[in-house]
Amino acid sequence: MASAPHHHHQKQQQRRSDPRLKRCPFCEHNTLYIDYKDYPTLKPYTDYFGNTRARYYTGVCLKHQKMLRTAIERARFMGMLAYRK
Amino acid sequence: MQLDGRNTLLYIPALADSPLPSGTGFTHESRMPSLVPTSEDVQIYEICVLYPPALNQKEEQGVLKEVEEVFTDAGGKQVSKDLWGRRGLAYPIKGAKEGNFAVYHYEMDPLKVKETDQQLRIMKGVLRHLIVKPPKHYQIVKYSEAYEQWLKSRETAEEERSKKKEEEVQEKIARKAMRQAKMTTERKKAAPAPKVESEDLTQKIDELIAGDSLDTI
Repeated sequence: MASAPHHHHQKQQQRRSDPRLKRCPFCEHNTLYIDYKDYPTLKPYTDYFGNTRARYYTGVCLKHQKMLRTAIERARFMGMLAYRK
Repeated sequence: MQLDGRNTLLYIPALADSPLPSGTGFTHESRMPSLVPTSEDVQIYEICVLYPPALNQKEEQGVLKEVEEVFTDAGGKQVSKDLWGRRGLAYPIKGAKEGNFAVYHYEMDPLKVKETDQQLRIMKGVLRHLIVKPPKHYQIVKYSEAYEQWLKSRETAEEERSKKKEEEVQEKIARKAMRQAKMTTERKKAAPAPKVESEDLTQKIDELIAGDSLDTI
C-alpha cells in the first residue's frame, strides 16, 4: 500500500521536468524586441514542419513567445522561413 | 548602473550555447538613442523589399531606384540602407526560388505610409515588401553581415564535428590494430613456448646423458 503512491510520483517526475527549472533564453539577455530579419535566432524556434515550437518545450516566457510569433510570421511572409514543409 | 554593467558582462552571445538570441542587438544593455525621429511629425519606418534575382545589374539598380524614389517622393529621409544580396527562399514566390533582399530605414510622415505601401504593392519588380515601425530606441543591425558571420560559424562548427568524427574513426582503427597486434603476439608467445620447453627437455636429457658419462668416471 505504501509503495503505490511513491511509484505514481516517480512516473510523474519522469514525464515532465520541474517547471521552475525552465528559463526563458530571451529573458536572460533582457531582449526587448525580436527581429524578424534575424534568421539564426528564429530558426531553432520552428520545428521540422515549420510550425512555431510550443512554449512548453522551449521554455520561452509568454511575453517573448508573443514577440517570437510576430517575428516568425513576418519572416514567413518575406520568404525567410517556411510556412509548411 | 551596476546592474547594467553586470548584464553586459554576462551577455556573451558567442559563448552561450542552446537556442539563444545572438543577433538581437536590442537588449537592455544596448539601449542607445540611435533611432529617434528628428521631429514629432515624422516616424521612423523599416522597409524590407524582396525582388527576384534573375535580373542583370542594371535592372536591379532600376528596381532599387524606383523603390527609393517612392519614399523620397513621399517626403522620406533615408536613415540606413542594407543590401543582403542573393538568398534562397523558404518557398517559391511567383516561381522564384531565390531572391534579393533590401532593408531600408526611412524617416517619414505617418500619413504617407499607406500611399507608399500601395505603390510598392503595384510595383512590377517587387515580389514582397513589408513596412514595419520598429520599437522605441531600436538599434539598426546590419543583418547582411550578421548572416554571413552566422554561416561562417556554422561552417566551422560543422568542420569541427567532421574532424572529431574522423579522429574517432582513426582512434577506433588504431585500437583495432593494437588489439590485433596483441593477439598475434600472444599467439606467437603461446605457440613457441612449448617448443622451448621441448628444447629444454632435450637439453636436460643431454645433460642427463652427460651425467651418466660423469658417473662412469
